[in-house]
Amino acid sequence: MLTLPHRPVRIALSITLALAIAGLIIAVLWAILAAATDTATPSRVDIPHLLRMTSIQAGLTTIFSLAVGMALAWSLNRLRFPGRDLVVGLFSAAIVTPGMVVAFGLLSIWGRNGWINEASKAIFGFPLGNPAFGLSGILLAHVILDGAFAARILLARLDAIPASRLKVGQSLALSTSQRFRLIDWPAMRTSLPGLGAIIFLLAFTSFPIVLLLGGGPANQTLEVAIYSAVRLDFDLVGAVRLALTQIGVCAIVILLASASTNVIAPPHGGSTTPLWRDGAFARALQWLVLALSTIGFVLPLLSVLIDGVTGGFGRVLVQPTFWWAFGTSMIIGSASAALTLVLALALCLGRSASSGKALRTLLGTPSFAYLAVPAVVLSLGFFLLIRNLGLAPERAAPFVVIVANSLLALPFAVATLGPPLDAIAHARGKLIRSLGLSGWQQFWSVEYPLLGKDIGLMLALAFCFSLGDLGVIALFGTQDFQTLPLMMFRALGAYRGNDAAAIAAILLIGTILAFVGLPRLFERIAHARG
Amino acid sequence: MVKSISMALAVLFGLSALPAHAQDMPTLTIYTYDGFAAEWGPGPQLSAAFEPICGCRLNWVAADSSIGTLRRVQLEGATTEADLIVGLDTAIAGEARATGLFADHGLTLDDLALPEAWTDQQFVPFDYSHFAFMYDTDRTTTPPKSFEELIALPDDFKIVIQDPRSATPGLGLVLWIKAAYGDRASEIWAGLKPHILTVTREWSESYSLFLDGEADMALSYTTSPAYHIKEEGDETIKAALFEEGHYPQIEVAGVLKSSDQQELAKQFLAWFASSEGQKIIPTTNWMFPVVDLGADLDPAFAGLPQPEKTLHLSDEDILANSSAWIDEMLAAVQ
Repeated sequence: MLTLPHRPVRIALSITLALAIAGLIIAVLWAILAAATDTATPSRVDIPHLLRMTSIQAGLTTIFSLAVGMALAWSLNRLRFPGRDLVVGLFSAAIVTPGMVVAFGLLSIWGRNGWINEASKAIFGFPLGNPAFGLSGILLAHVILDGAFAARILLARLDAIPASRLKVGQSLALSTSQRFRLIDWPAMRTSLPGLGAIIFLLAFTSFPIVLLLGGGPANQTLEVAIYSAVRLDFDLVGAVRLALTQIGVCAIVILLASASTNVIAPPHGGSTTPLWRDGAFARALQWLVLALSTIGFVLPLLSVLIDGVTGGFGRVLVQPTFWWAFGTSMIIGSASAALTLVLALALCLGRSASSGKALRTLLGTPSFAYLAVPAVVLSLGFFLLIRNLGLAPERAAPFVVIVANSLLALPFAVATLGPPLDAIAHARGKLIRSLGLSGWQQFWSVEYPLLGKDIGLMLALAFCFSLGDLGVIALFGTQDFQTLPLMMFRALGAYRGNDAAAIAAILLIGTILAFVGLPRLFERIAHARG
Repeated sequence: MVKSISMALAVLFGLSALPAHAQDMPTLTIYTYDGFAAEWGPGPQLSAAFEPICGCRLNWVAADSSIGTLRRVQLEGATTEADLIVGLDTAIAGEARATGLFADHGLTLDDLALPEAWTDQQFVPFDYSHFAFMYDTDRTTTPPKSFEELIALPDDFKIVIQDPRSATPGLGLVLWIKAAYGDRASEIWAGLKPHILTVTREWSESYSLFLDGEADMALSYTTSPAYHIKEEGDETIKAALFEEGHYPQIEVAGVLKSSDQQELAKQFLAWFASSEGQKIIPTTNWMFPVVDLGADLDPAFAGLPQPEKTLHLSDEDILANSSAWIDEMLAAVQ
């Protein structure tokens, strides 16, 4: 560990940021407690039952998503075919699309009137049943959202394996399983704890999907109880208590993940993968995985696109409000993406420069803050904080939304940038020290050129998260300040299902474009410089 | 790059500074739920019609939900900017009244055409509809005529409802079954359980599931078919009328005591509850007006079948028991 360059400024910056995020969460909870009155009826919640149900659901989601993600990343890394970038873009699009959109896409494939049951009726004369509701429905939807995301992140790790390493492996004539064990697995392993934690937390706090597909109050999350405490019972003390319970459970998962990502990734290098095909059986398996994933992941999204185009596409595009919301979404998305990049770099550069296990664990936690704190508590807390500062909520709204969206994207950004930065620090630390580079020179001439594609992917992620977010904006949006998801949500609430479908399709197209375009763009910019 | 960043910043600050107050005109700030203030909702049309009359500005501030408006003024207390709340309903009126934040409206509301007599001193009704299950005549030829007929149908006849803790109709159904069946409510819920496909957070999700054919019926309003008739020329979506009678949702507005524009606020309420204000409501909020509009009522509404019996629960009863009733429902369908 002595090879790490000495970077006190980076470490200090990231510690400051970590403390600031912790302080923000404490301030949010404190503001809510301060506003609580004792006239509220305490809400009655069976917390152990909820924790048990939610943990089972989230645990299964995590296992399935990681397994599917690894299989898919492995297949995509090996296969080359026309439209591959588009497929990769579609896979990435799932997680940042509003959950509702994905859930309804899923239903149009798997539901009672979905494509699969319709096909079965046409071919066999009877429907296959309806797996889209209950625990199976929740898991299906979550694996579509999270498995495809895991695949995207893991694919980036596999694609980053240096050509030299692959050449050695190829000359040693490694078998498919040896290649996976010796080359692929070490590259993916460092990303798994972070990814697993993200997926677990997403599933643990997933609210609309669990309610929509859960089939009833038996399958519910703590967030529902918290929402009820805040809204219906107005039991703010109870809400904070429930929020702390959720934060506590999440903190265990986060600490475990953060502590176990100390494994250092293999050297990182941007390279074009040389052609090294696996054996015939493995290739058949890869095509099968790809075909199944395409049916599972791409069809629901495709149905969203088709619904949108056949619905009110033209009608939406001529509305001035649509373009106003479109512009707002673009600006908020770009600002959130930029802020996320700054925050993620501050955290990851500090973490990659520190060698102590405790410090690394500590610096790994704040990025998860947003996932652990229930959205309704966060937005209520923000609202109260802004009022306590004497600002009008309407005026502060755009800034709150940008900060909230950045925090939302932060764990994904850290999962994207963290492992490669760690790898660079370890592989090139000695060189950097011997050249006596300053922190700034280290970033500008070593890290930035190598990170180009990852920064692009991270910006695409953050931009799209903001583009699809319906959390904080739902509370802070006004008539004059609305984003596309909020406009979609409002259309859906006013019988305007066709408008909503069209906006959903437009969001999806924007997301796919961002995912296909931004990583390429940034790789080019970084290479032009480096 | 720098130019586009500074442009973006300019737009951001522009956005945040938008609620521009015309200095020379009094402004009424009205908290409402977001659908009401939406461009296709009643808000913009009400502004256009009332602003020339009062020589004032209406500033609509949308919260994410009806109950969200109440929680917001509760949090803001006496420092709230709101002069009025538009969009509470009879299920939460009792709780809203108990906060002591609302002033008496002082209006004589003689012309109302509501399914029940109106004696409320604080809240003025502005639209109503009965909760009901929607069905599609192409898919369901003989809809159930009561909860008990619905329960007796095969289990694969599916309904979608909303969580009473997050959606107004969800709470409405709890009150409906309680008003119709009293102590037998939990038995009815247990009977409904096999038919419940899912319990969604929002009305819109249930309704979409129903329109997509995932469920045979969705909990909504007797006025919902009017949207499909008027906007889509579709006559196949109908409300199933139940023999037990139906529970109404009456949406109300109230003036906050903390408002420094009591007179103007009351002038708005009086106008809003008159036929001038009411004629805007049906085809923007898809609810019945609270006065008889006669020939001005859109034919899509005039032809809608109405329940023969309207059920009623008192404010006090709801305030004291709604939590227990929700628990009863959750326990029965769990």
